[in-house]
This record gives sequence, structure tokens and C-alpha cells, in this order.
Amino acid sequence: MAGILVKARFPRRRLVQIVIANLFRYLFRGAARNWARNISSTAPALGSMALLLVLLGLVGLTGIALYNLDQVESGQASILHVYISDGADPAGVAALRERLSSDPRIASIGYTSKAEALQRAQSIPGLPELAGASDSNPFPASFDVQVKKIDDVAAIDAMVRNDIAVDAMYPTSYDRGAYQRIQTVIFGLGVAGFAFLSLLGFVAVTVTINSIRAAIIARRDEVLIMQLVGAPRWMVRGPFVVEGAIAGALAGGLAGLVTFGLAAAGIEAAAGSFNQFAPGITITVAAIVSLVVFGVGLGLGSGSSLISIRRHLES
Amino acid sequence: MRPIVEFTRVTREYGSRIALDDVCLRLEPGELTFLVGPSGAGKTTLLKLINREIRPTSGEVWVDGIPAHRLKTHRVSDLRRRVGVVFQDFKLLPRLTTIENVALALQVGDLRISDGEAMDRALDALEAVGLGDRGKAFPHQLSGGQQQRVAVARAVVAQPPLLIADEPTGNLDLDTAWEMMDLFRDIAAWGTSVLIATHNVEIVTRLQRRVVTLVQGRLVRDQPAGAIGRMAWLASS
Repeated sequence: MAGILVKARFPRRRLVQIVIANLFRYLFRGAARNWARNISSTAPALGSMALLLVLLGLVGLTGIALYNLDQVESGQASILHVYISDGADPAGVAALRERLSSDPRIASIGYTSKAEALQRAQSIPGLPELAGASDSNPFPASFDVQVKKIDDVAAIDAMVRNDIAVDAMYPTSYDRGAYQRIQTVIFGLGVAGFAFLSLLGFVAVTVTINSIRAAIIARRDEVLIMQLVGAPRWMVRGPFVVEGAIAGALAGGLAGLVTFGLAAAGIEAAAGSFNQFAPGITITVAAIVSLVVFGVGLGLGSGSSLISIRRHLES
Repeated sequence: MRPIVEFTRVTREYGSRIALDDVCLRLEPGELTFLVGPSGAGKTTLLKLINREIRPTSGEVWVDGIPAHRLKTHRVSDLRRRVGVVFQDFKLLPRLTTIENVALALQVGDLRISDGEAMDRALDALEAVGLGDRGKAFPHQLSGGQQQRVAVARAVVAQPPLLIADEPTGNLDLDTAWEMMDLFRDIAAWGTSVLIATHNVEIVTRLQRRVVTLVQGRLVRDQPAGAIGRMAWLASS
């Protein structure tokens, strides 16, 4: 017997659509409408949060640059440049190289000629003028000695500085305590940066908590009515969290754009020498930091709202 | 039959002041009951205990089988969806229209209700209270009596088994108050228990329904329907 297949609409799908539509309306549309309605009272909080997040982004970029600088410095501190006298006998130079090569404390030895030293100096800010001030090349040739342990650099320096092939006036690049001084400065900057960021975070959280508290107080009657007609807790609290997230996302987005813009402008303006001042800061790194700033804004807004709700919204 | 509300030796204290003292009370389904007593007698406290706005200091409060006295905060909404509430000051959301105010009570309780269904049921409730043509009006465009009718429509739209009203006629003139009482009688006739806290002697005396009297937190009299003598009621106020 032939039959007719009637394909009915799956009611569960319709049910899911209705639930999603209601969720969207009560959580997101309501929150967006309330946020827009209270824009005059939330604008100062938004501005403060954006400003704090910009500072966060800039401090973050500075931190990355300092970290990279520390890495570069620690790498460079274990390299000892042994400057060769201009009039040194080639046999003496070869003997010096032989002595260094046979030393078990040394990982590798490179050689930089006078011409290469001049070329390297011309890429360092401030030195091209010095290089051009003289008709002759003032930069010596050198052995670039990679010492295995940074603690052995002083001993290697002592071993070679009186060698006949070594420049008597500036024998090596060794500067007792220079690396420690740099590390001390970087550590100090790190601690200061962390303290500054903590302070910024505290201020940002406080500003957002107060902004959400103001919203809760302004809508106290509405909240009470919602609770009395049987609205579940998430329906009463959710819109405030979404409002906080909206404020955080806007502040984070704005701050992210400003951070990226400032970093890009810095990279563009300083061109070749930027990497000397802020090693590792590229357009990609700036974009990642900006995204992190956006994420922090979003988290800060939502988290602060949650704290505010727990403190100020009666259940 | 299981009572819709049952108080067992309920005491509620606010610091050193006793608002309710060892109260026992049962309300049956479909019953219209007046809660009377002088100001400060504990009427509002009793209603707040039913709606779990507060907890008792001691004793048990059962509402439609739910133990309100030990209900966790996150379950309070389950109880409140079984209790319609009408206040003296209406408590309507000013930014929502009349029909939206009524539909809200439906949808906050059940997200599976679509907009269309919520609006249809809200309109039915508004028609039942005589305001079917004012659905698009905002609360501030309505009179006090009309706003109170909207509040009643909101309280009953989800067909709760219990309706409580705290001085629902307090802000209304006598004619409007009688209209409200007619509504409450109809609601009780549909099977919903109605508990009304009031000071209105005229209404309580003429309606001849059950009257529970509170004085200084104690339940001093529980008069069944039809046994309300005017002087007896006045003596306790």
C-alpha cells in the first residue's frame, strides 16, 4: 500500500530556538540596552579603564623589550672581545688563537677584522659619526671568544690581556660588574613595573566595581521586581556581568588599538635603530600585546562585575 | 488534601524585637483568607516568609510542598514561581508596557515560552482583569486602580497555586477597592488560594471570608468564613 510521508518539523529544534532567543534577549539585548541607557554614568569608568589598559599595554611592551635586552646582555656578557694590536705580528696572533683554542673553558672563537668591526660600528646608534671623524679606521680587529661559563670570563681576560699580540691600551671588552649592574637595573625595573601594573589593576577593578555598583543601585527596583516574579539568579545577575563585559571589551578594544598604534608609530619612526632600544618589539609582537590588552579588558570588566554583584546585589 | 501554606510554630525575630511569635497556620487550596491586625502586628513579615524574602528564626514554613524555611538561595526562584504577589505600590517595571510587564512574569519562569505565546497569555490575563485594551500603555499612563489590576494579571498569569497581596487596596478609593476584591474572589473561585493582608474593615466584614488576626506577632484569632462579626474584628484591630 502506498503511503504519504509527512515530514514534521522537529519540535525540539523549535524549542531550542525559543530558549536561545529568550536567553539572548534577557542576557545580551537587555544588557546592551541598559548599558547604552546608562552611558553617561559609565563613560568615565570606561575612559579610566581604557587609559589604564593603554598604560598596561605600554608597560607590557616595555617589559618584553627589557626581557629581550636581558637575554641579549647575558649572551653578550659571556662573549669576550680580545682586541688585537694594529701592529701585531701574524705569528703572535696565530699563537694567541692557538692558546685560546686549546683552553677547555672556551666554547668557540670567532674573528672580526678591522673592516668588519667598522661595519658593525656603523650600525650602532652614535658610532657612525665617530667612525667618520677619522680618515683611518679606529676600530681594532678582535677575537670574539665565547666562554662556556660567565664566571670564567675574568680568568680568560687575565690570561690574554698581557699577550704581545693584544692591544696594550684596550686589551679586551671585559668590564667587571657591568653585567651585574645591567641585571640589577633590569630587576629593579621589573619590580617597579610589576608594582605599577598591580596598582593599575587595582584601580581598574575598583573603577569597574563602582560603575557596576552604580548600575545596580540605579536599577534596584527593577532587580527587586525581577526577583519577586521568580527570575532565577542568573537572569538577574547575568545582564550586569554582560554590561561589565561590554565596558571591558570596549575599553580593551580602544586601549589595544592605541597600544598598537603607538608601537607601530615608534617602529616606523625609529626605523633601523628601534631594535637597539627595544629589542624584539615588532609589528607582530605589538599586535599580540594589543590582543592581550583586549582580553584583559574583557576579563577585567566581567570579573569586576562579578565581584560587584556578589557584594552589592542581594539574592 | 495537602495545605498550600503551612506554618508550624514559626517565630521571626529582628534583633531583640519579635515580629512573629510561635505562629501555626494552614491555608487550604482555593481558599480566600484575610490577614488582619494593627500596624506592626507581623502581617508583612508573614507574607515575606511565604515568599521566602526572609527566613524564620525558628519553625517551619511549607509552601505548596516546598520547605521555604530551609530553601537554598539558588532555589528561591522555584518557590516564587508558585506564588503570585501583589503589592500596595504595584511594583510594575516603568520601561515596559502593560502587556510586557505581564509577559515578563511568564518568561522569567520558563524560557521555553515563546514571545507569541507569552503575549497571548498575557493578553488573556489582562482581559480577565478588564484591561485587554490597555496592553500597549505604559504604567505611568494608567490610573492607580488600573496599575493594580495589571499587577494582579502579572501575579496570576503563570497560574500559581497561591496569590498573596500586601495591602492591595491601600492606595485605591473604595469603589476601585471593591473591584479589586471582586477580582480576588474570582481568582479564588478558579482554584488559586488567596491571602490578603489588609486594614480595610468594610471589605473584610462584608465579604465574610476566613479572617486570621495577628496582634504583636501572635495569631490571636482564626475565624472561619461566614463567622465574621464587625465588632469582633474591630476589637482586634
